[in-house]
Amino acid sequence: MLELSLFSALALFMLGGSVAMILNTQPLFSAFGFLVAMLGLAGMFALLESQFLALAQIMVSVGAIVVVSMLTILTVNAKEENLPYEPYKYRWIIFSALLVSPLSLLMYKSMTLLHEEFNGIDVVDTKLIGSMLFSKWVLPFEIVSVLLLSAMVGAIVIARKKRTKVEER
Amino acid sequence: MKPELFFMLASLLFSIGLVGVVSRRNLFVIYMSIELMLSAISLLLVTFSKVLGSADGAVMALLMIGVIAAEAALFLAIIIHLYRRNRTVDSDAYNGLRQEANDA
Repeated sequence: MLELSLFSALALFMLGGSVAMILNTQPLFSAFGFLVAMLGLAGMFALLESQFLALAQIMVSVGAIVVVSMLTILTVNAKEENLPYEPYKYRWIIFSALLVSPLSLLMYKSMTLLHEEFNGIDVVDTKLIGSMLFSKWVLPFEIVSVLLLSAMVGAIVIARKKRTKVEER
Repeated sequence: MKPELFFMLASLLFSIGLVGVVSRRNLFVIYMSIELMLSAISLLLVTFSKVLGSADGAVMALLMIGVIAAEAALFLAIIIHLYRRNRTVDSDAYNGLRQEANDA
């Protein structure tokens, strides 16, 4: 019963945050909705008894991704006239929600047909995840580390200012 | 607790993210919607890890958090680069490839 009420509260937070994210005109308020959704996702991971993932979610998604997005939004600092002019925003959102809802229903129905119950396993603790990460999943782990390195270099190269001819001399 | 609730939540989050990508023109909102879709998939992975009783899904979700971080860094860098060129975050303003195709 406690689990169910926790789940409902977290789910309401996540859905409300994500709906606020796609409805707001100002990107900073959208980022706040995204922050609420990510915190709710960390709570969901904790509810699914994988504490390490909940911690990693809070550290990476909330602590790094959302903060960097907010910093970028504040740095870009788009004024009202620089924001896109979307007069039919709600109409578009309702229309695309109608289009997407059968897909959502299909996903839900097909996934519930697969498995009905939770399998009773122990808590997925940090020790288990760590040992699996360095035995069975070591190649994907290394690929992700190379991907992060290349993304870092690529982000620096893309976002730096182009040097003018005068500076190069 | 039944896993159906988690499946429902994940599919709803994915659909909200898809709606955001399709219907909005603000680059930041598109970026955050893509992140939301990826996060919904990682929630699904963790749910299946508990349903099937193996920790593989949880490890996959952990790797996915790394992929999401890489995607965030690249997307934000692209947004900064585009804003520096045109001074707008409207995704409709960036149609340079289409115009070049028309000129040729």
